[in-house]
Amino acid sequence: MAANNTSRRTVLKGAGIGGVVGLTMGISGCLGTDDGTDVEGAEELAGEVPEIHLLAPTAGVNPFRNELASMIAENWEEIGFEVDLDELEFGAHVDQAVVQQDFDASLLGWGGTPERIDPHTFTYDMHHSANTQEGGRNTPGYANDEYDELAELQVTQPDEDERQQTVYEAQEILARDQPRTYIANEGGYHPYASARVTDIQPTLGEGLNSFWNMISATPTDSDTVRFGYPAAINSLNPMLDLATPDRQFVRLIYDQLFRIGEDGLPTPWLATDDPEIEDDGMTYTVEIRDDVTFHDGVDLTIDDVEFTYELYADSPTYGSLVDNIEEIETSGNEITFHLNEQYAPFTANVLGQVYIFPEHIWGGVDPDDLADFEDENWIGSGPFQFVDWERQSELQLEAFDDHFETPNADNFIRVPGSNTAQLIGDLESGQLDMVGTVPQPTAVDRVRDDEDLDLAEFEDIGYVKIAYNMRREPFDDRHLRRALSYGVPKEEYVEFVRDGMGTVTHSTISEHNEFWHNPDVEEFYEDLTAAREELAEGGYGWDDDGRLHYGADQ
Amino acid sequence: MGLREYVVRRFLQLIVTFWAFFTLLFVLFRMMPGDPTSMFILDGMTPEQREQRIAELGLDQPLYVQYVEYIRQLLTGDFGQSFIYREPVTDIILIRFMNTIVLMGTALVFAYLIGVTFGALMGWWRNSRFERGGIIVTLMARSSPEFWVGIVLLSVFVFWLGWFPSSGMRTTGGELGGGFVARYGSLDFLRHLFLPALTGAIVYLATPTLLMRSTMLDVLNADFIEIKKAEGLPERTVLYKHAARNSILPLVTVAAIATGAAMGGSVVIETVFNWPGMGREMVRAVNNNDYPVAMAAFFLMGSVVILMNFVADLAYVYLDPRVEYE
Repeated sequence: MAANNTSRRTVLKGAGIGGVVGLTMGISGCLGTDDGTDVEGAEELAGEVPEIHLLAPTAGVNPFRNELASMIAENWEEIGFEVDLDELEFGAHVDQAVVQQDFDASLLGWGGTPERIDPHTFTYDMHHSANTQEGGRNTPGYANDEYDELAELQVTQPDEDERQQTVYEAQEILARDQPRTYIANEGGYHPYASARVTDIQPTLGEGLNSFWNMISATPTDSDTVRFGYPAAINSLNPMLDLATPDRQFVRLIYDQLFRIGEDGLPTPWLATDDPEIEDDGMTYTVEIRDDVTFHDGVDLTIDDVEFTYELYADSPTYGSLVDNIEEIETSGNEITFHLNEQYAPFTANVLGQVYIFPEHIWGGVDPDDLADFEDENWIGSGPFQFVDWERQSELQLEAFDDHFETPNADNFIRVPGSNTAQLIGDLESGQLDMVGTVPQPTAVDRVRDDEDLDLAEFEDIGYVKIAYNMRREPFDDRHLRRALSYGVPKEEYVEFVRDGMGTVTHSTISEHNEFWHNPDVEEFYEDLTAAREELAEGGYGWDDDGRLHYGADQ
Repeated sequence: MGLREYVVRRFLQLIVTFWAFFTLLFVLFRMMPGDPTSMFILDGMTPEQREQRIAELGLDQPLYVQYVEYIRQLLTGDFGQSFIYREPVTDIILIRFMNTIVLMGTALVFAYLIGVTFGALMGWWRNSRFERGGIIVTLMARSSPEFWVGIVLLSVFVFWLGWFPSSGMRTTGGELGGGFVARYGSLDFLRHLFLPALTGAIVYLATPTLLMRSTMLDVLNADFIEIKKAEGLPERTVLYKHAARNSILPLVTVAAIATGAAMGGSVVIETVFNWPGMGREMVRAVNNNDYPVAMAAFFLMGSVVILMNFVADLAYVYLDPRVEYE
């Protein structure tokens, strides 16, 4: 696969460069530098632009992105940079790039979980200057007052059209400044056994891991759906810092007032309707359903809801999620939240995130012990109830028949696999019905050819990107970052490396997030000439070997 | 030096080896980049949550404080709590360790039963077609990587013939938990055990076969075999009672050491067959910087190697009176 790509790529690039050289010779009849283009840089040169230290995942962690990193490094070298490609395991990569912030450029993904469909995470969390601390989400250290204002403004706009306008402008500024190169939304395929399960419902960003898929999937000749994933569940305790695969099952057992719907918008769940929001955008009132019970038969009441929000406020892990709530009132079946300040994504990011707990079980738990609390039966009110669990082997759930959205499968079993290839084997041998991970390209073809199996295609709002460390020279220079962005072969990555899985992106908001995506932002396709022009404009120049230097005037 | 003195000295050496071993483990894992929060950061853990967690785990303490605490825990037989699962490491490790022992134990028993018999016959029928063919087969088995053997067995017995399940330790959806018998006594379990154990048996078969063959050749050249033959004993008696028995001694050492090595080798087999054993858990723990689990897993596996070497030394002294205590 890799060799194949390289050869295809070499051919393509050969053709491209041939074309450019031919054209420039034909038109101007001269060659400015001996590297094949006529872009003239600064005449008087200062020192060399320092080597770029690019962090990327190993092929074991992510073969696609590993290949992409080599392609990028090659292009950057062609523009005149020196590149030191450093391949890292996942934990080490996150630690060095996100926590230690010791990098020049870092190629990592950012996941598109449903609560990130609201534009807040992708605009405010990832790019506002308040989040540049160690471990913060603004990894590049991007700090732009004009941008900060927009990121703050969108939070306070309850009117969706006004907020959309603000989010549009924010995306334009990001595209212009390129604190990151936004490369591609990596959608993909999740394999499943079409002969054994129907009504699958892959959703945006999550594919078959989606909540809606798990309650919709229907076994054809048994009453059980067996779901494989290449990692065990760490914990089912919703009060822990949970990894995404954990959350995907916690949310089957526990309900929220709202869930992120298949369309990406918060949908009433335990709530009867959309929240009533007062004009100041600071008061939210929600009415809850009166037909809900917990798995042990006890009614879920407004007191449980109030108790839960207070519990969250006391939780060391999740206190910050609800610290914008100043006061809670209840009356009848209604609960009213008074906020400290306006927060437009409140429904999606708070009401849609907080799991409602039974007070009769969690009531006596000391806040400091929440994370270690073991409810052996994990009593929630969700569409599936807990049966049994052996972490290394399987998690067994069964449909909760008293739920207002009874799932289609009576039993749902989650099996942790050792890796994707092994899980696909289990799918082929009939031991699994669905797999929540994207197979290697060779396995994709095998699944396609197997008449019992099929692929569920989905798009993503998360993306792979390169972050530039703007705390350092020369990455604080916009021209240089823009030039580097022109060196990223986005289309080739999606078409050839990922075999068509996913879409190219130029914005922090994916085109699949239709309402919030600004389709008119500046685009950066692979264009090495444009990269050189950008550098020349920034005052850089090249020596006789084609190596990039600072200009003397810079 | 007498036997008792030798055993005592060997035992003291054992203690020093253990101390060096777990100190090395401690240092190695703390030097690894990343920390147990790394896997949560891209899922949305905030910097405040991260710092709080690090402090909770005591990872903000100076290294020597952490080291002293670690030794103190170990001395009380406590491996601590998993950083990621937040459960006692002992609970996590023991069950998986048992699963690994059952798998690799079965594999080794078969490897040595078949290997010893096969090797003895190869030595007995020296220069026959059987011996030449046997050597080729054995060398092929020896040089095949474990994952490859596993995949070949999977494609034949699972995907082609459909006789065995492709992974796991039992059919999904059944009763979980249960005691030793419920776990390892069922037919369903044996069906799941067969292929991974066979993979291990094939991979570990070569050493006892070749070793048995070559010691057989030495023994067969010894004078006492000639005498036994001259006494007019039947061939079978000479082969089993005299030749094979005397050839088995070196295998005791090798078997003990192989047991240790097989525990490490289980990682690959467990990955291919999704066996819920310790090898897989070790890989997970290392990837997630779950130090307590990773260290306990390495500690247990390493202990098997160290202890088996110890046993091999003692067994040798006991079995062969000619061995001197140095």
